[in-house]
Amino acid sequence: MCNYSDRDQASMGQRVALELDLVQGFRFFDPHIHMVSRTTDDYQAMADAGVVAVIEPAFWVGQPRTGIDTFRDYYSSLIGWERFRASQFGIRHFCTIGLNSREANNEALAAQVIEVLPFFIHKEGVVGIGEIGFDDQTPAEEKYYRLQLELAREAGLPVQVHTPHRDKTKGTSRSMDIALEHGLDPGMVIIDHNTEETVKEVLDRGFWAAFTIYPFTKMGNERMVEIVKEYGPDRIMVNSAADWGISDPLAVPKTAALMVKSGISRETIEAVCYKNAIAAFGRSGQLDEAMLQEQAPIDQGQKFEGNSILRGGQQPRRNVGSIVIS
Amino acid sequence: MSPIEDQFSATHIAHDELIASHVKPYIGDADWQVLTGNLGRIAEDPQPALLARVFTGISRIVKPADKGRWISLDGAAGPGRNQLPLLVKDWIPARLLRVWTLMHIPPLEQAAYVQLIERLFLYGEMEELVALYSALPVFHYPEAWRHRCTEGIRSNIGPVREAIMADNPYAAAYLDEGAWNQLVLKGFFTEADMQRIVGLEKRNNARLASALVDYAHELHAAKRTISPHLWLLVAPFMDERAYSLMRNILEQHPDTGTSRAIAVAFHRSDYAPAKALLRENSELTDLLNTAG
Repeated sequence: MCNYSDRDQASMGQRVALELDLVQGFRFFDPHIHMVSRTTDDYQAMADAGVVAVIEPAFWVGQPRTGIDTFRDYYSSLIGWERFRASQFGIRHFCTIGLNSREANNEALAAQVIEVLPFFIHKEGVVGIGEIGFDDQTPAEEKYYRLQLELAREAGLPVQVHTPHRDKTKGTSRSMDIALEHGLDPGMVIIDHNTEETVKEVLDRGFWAAFTIYPFTKMGNERMVEIVKEYGPDRIMVNSAADWGISDPLAVPKTAALMVKSGISRETIEAVCYKNAIAAFGRSGQLDEAMLQEQAPIDQGQKFEGNSILRGGQQPRRNVGSIVIS
Repeated sequence: MSPIEDQFSATHIAHDELIASHVKPYIGDADWQVLTGNLGRIAEDPQPALLARVFTGISRIVKPADKGRWISLDGAAGPGRNQLPLLVKDWIPARLLRVWTLMHIPPLEQAAYVQLIERLFLYGEMEELVALYSALPVFHYPEAWRHRCTEGIRSNIGPVREAIMADNPYAAAYLDEGAWNQLVLKGFFTEADMQRIVGLEKRNNARLASALVDYAHELHAAKRTISPHLWLLVAPFMDERAYSLMRNILEQHPDTGTSRAIAVAFHRSDYAPAKALLRENSELTDLLNTAG
């Protein structure tokens, strides 16, 4: 049985103090994070660390869906409840909408999902089609990837492309080939989950290269520092892809802090942890820097009222330093 | 147009122009032309795809600098008969534009009309839901929206609930007692601005007052704040259980707002011990005479 609490502390490395004061005053944008799986503590910690906006791509929820209604409700939660939840912590919540590759393999359901997508992709705050692409690289995945690329092109929306964990390098090349085949401008396509092996081709071909800082299975941020040192800031962005797995919603600010420590310039850090993602997804016409400069309107421009999270006069901030809960 | 509908068309046009004059400044000329053209088509023949496109796309045609402006206008009536007034207080332009769009939908026949709008609820993002619930007073077939209204009150999204609770006359006019009581209880529970609930005193009832007294006891036991407004609803139905709690709170020297609300509740109540206490306590009587 795999139980993380049984794990030898030594194998997890030395405990290093958080040095987030290194990035005091920075503003961060996490362009890939699955907040439906995260707690209010995460939102609070992100806001404290300087995260002002996020993009939540539609994805697999950890267990296969069996009906169209659960898909529709999931998409609705991304543009409704989750958007509101984020606003309570002063964080702007955008999303990308799409059919993820894993569930493209349930063809009967996938066809129905494609039918409902047009009802969501034109909504306020929907900044792209995503995350779509390959997982096992099956014919069904390819079919639905292509259909959604067409949808993105017609709607003039950026595409957030998930690249496979297995056979990654080939899968990444193929994802780009197909996007170009459908006439997409590479400047409208964000290739996600890059590694040292894929970054060069992605940048050379004119696509945006996103990097997911995710413990154990994707990039570590020390590697990220080296990549930025080698390739510079252009068309590179950092995200957490934090979800229901062991992941880190502070991956963007932590990576920025490590970059500060490594002597990377503030300008470069701002580009890869804030500005580039805004420029890329800003091509949706739904997002720009001026919008994020405004104080995030708590409750979307309406008065702050009680609600189910902050109900009954409860203080917005939980007292983590006390065993007393009042 | 039938002769009956014709009788109302004059007022309809007046309100249509009133709303138009309030939203036009926030939209570019070309977008305005397209919008009014589309609204005309919706009024003639509301195709679901066109309606969804216009309704969803509203925020994109508001000039960016004006998206956060607030519009207020009182008592714009809907296009049909027996409709409730639309109370517009501090709405952003997109909200009024969306409600105005919905007001262009002709009555059709009930099932088709309801289905057309229900579909918008089903796919609505947060601001769209706010507009849809704000439009409850001006939808045709008002009885058909009771369930939708009670669903909205259950929403976790603060602005959605507020769209029903604040300055919206639909709930008081159409909800049954049980659903109305849930609205009021939820209002206190979520610290809504109770003064903005239309019909709060008119729809007050014994069962609600009793539930509010239970709730007040629970809050008191938890040492949490009790909204002074609660006592005003309890006043007409005061009994020993309510009175003893209110007296207990007064003895603990609460803030002036609470003392005043309890004084007013005692004054309005027919409950003899409350009347007596008020007579004997000049501090409380003085509070009755102060503004607030």
